[in-house]
Amino acid sequence: MPTVTYHHDGGTADVLDVEPGTSLMRAAVRNGVRGIVGECGGQAMCATCHVYVRDPYLGALPDISEDEEEMLDCTTAPRDADRSRLGCQVVVGPDLDEIEVDVPASQV
Amino acid sequence: MTTQANDVRPVPTAEWVTIPDLFDDPYPIFQRLRAEAPVHWVPAVDRYLIVGYEAAHDVEQDAERFTADEAGSLMKRSMGHSMLRKDDPEHAAERQAYGGVLRPRAIKAHWNAVFEANARVHLDQLKAAGPGADVVSHFAAPYAAENLRLVLGFHNATADDLQRWSQTLIDGTGNYADDPDVWAAAERSSAEVDTAIDEMLAHFRDEPDHTLLSGLADMPMSLEALRANLKMTIGGGLNEPRDAIATTLWALLSHPGQRERVLAGSRWADAFEESIRWVAPIGMYPRQATRDTVLDGLQIPAGARLGVHVGAANRDPAVFADPESYDVDRPKVPHLAFGGGSHFCAGAWVARASVVGVALPQLFAELPELRLDPAAPATIQGWVFRGVTHLPVLWS
Ligand code: FES
Repeated sequence: MPTVTYHHDGGTADVLDVEPGTSLMRAAVRNGVRGIVGECGGQAMCATCHVYVRDPYLGALPDISEDEEEMLDCTTAPRDADRSRLGCQVVVGPDLDEIEVDVPASQV
Repeated sequence: MTTQANDVRPVPTAEWVTIPDLFDDPYPIFQRLRAEAPVHWVPAVDRYLIVGYEAAHDVEQDAERFTADEAGSLMKRSMGHSMLRKDDPEHAAERQAYGGVLRPRAIKAHWNAVFEANARVHLDQLKAAGPGADVVSHFAAPYAAENLRLVLGFHNATADDLQRWSQTLIDGTGNYADDPDVWAAAERSSAEVDTAIDEMLAHFRDEPDHTLLSGLADMPMSLEALRANLKMTIGGGLNEPRDAIATTLWALLSHPGQRERVLAGSRWADAFEESIRWVAPIGMYPRQATRDTVLDGLQIPAGARLGVHVGAANRDPAVFADPESYDVDRPKVPHLAFGGGSHFCAGAWVARASVVGVALPQLFAELPELRLDPAAPATIQGWVFRGVTHLPVLWS
């Protein structure tokens, strides 16, 4: 099963085994990972599932859609030009069976 | 979150809760209810009333156990069967059809300039009315109405029409007392909206523009669904920004220290988000249990009609310290005023742009001396929908 690591401020992390086809937001919300809100349930509409993807995994990500692009300009924590993504738009599966992200200090 | 079976309690009944008391001031009632349990059966409103944050959050995130498509919905009767009372995938398809019209890119490209122009016009009208004017009827309501009219594309109606439609359709949605006059007014508005929509759809098929109706003109959505969705959008798109403006103003004018900090740092977003946490304009929305289930330790039977009170959840002391106070400096915790899950408010960014980006800063820039009128206190009322209905203000 794919593995997702959510790194928090201060060096702690949550490591989850996640069913393929699940988004980083959904997995986090279901398992109570602190710092990922996902208010809109994954419609790229609320910008409260913001994550910073760690460098080694950036190449494996899908392209940023128009909806995601405009939401990334609405995040509470500053957008990182390369690493910022919406957790609801990144889905683990055969093309992405391992990923590590940093959880921003704030989503609201 | 489910609890072990042996911890499950039955839902207590709150016989003592009445609709007039809720209408007047629901918050002391919520405090008393919450101290006992996060969910109560309230005979007066014929619902399981959810007043705890965790329970409300669980319900809105789990459409499998709690459907939005409730039986006997007042909203369906008032406005037709809109996407707000449908579950995915049906809901998602209709929501998708709204496209980008209400999203940040379109707001930047088209709507911010419209909001700014409307704010100028309505600020002039407020000033012309003179000190002592009611800021709700002279600014918040007509400003929200004109913004909505232009975003939706009702070029064949006036802002006053929008106000009448919104209020009467919403009154129907909240007609728990089953008042026949309320139903009659809602039906009249519903027929007027249908006519206006038909006219505009024909127009936009030839001459499309950036409005919502134009975008919907060639969408594969049934006319019945389209009409219901527009009525829902008229309701939510007018009264809620109106109430958010008025409540935020009232909060700032009655908390001088907070006003000072908001003005000094241009913290309009903080002022707005805290205001809709404190008094959520849409207080309660319905859900229905699809099966026997457990909600925050309480046994909910299949078919139970729930009233998810986000206004109560937003003052849950388990989540918000000193929840009854308006405090722009409180630690940031997500409030539930925009709803959550797939029914998260489609107009959230329009509300933020028109209220946070334009209305609040322009009001205080134009009328820096704005203050409450000690001779004419504000009125605030409602429990399904709640807001400041009358806010007389003075300036020098
Ligand atoms: S959950 Fe709302 S944008 Fe990702």
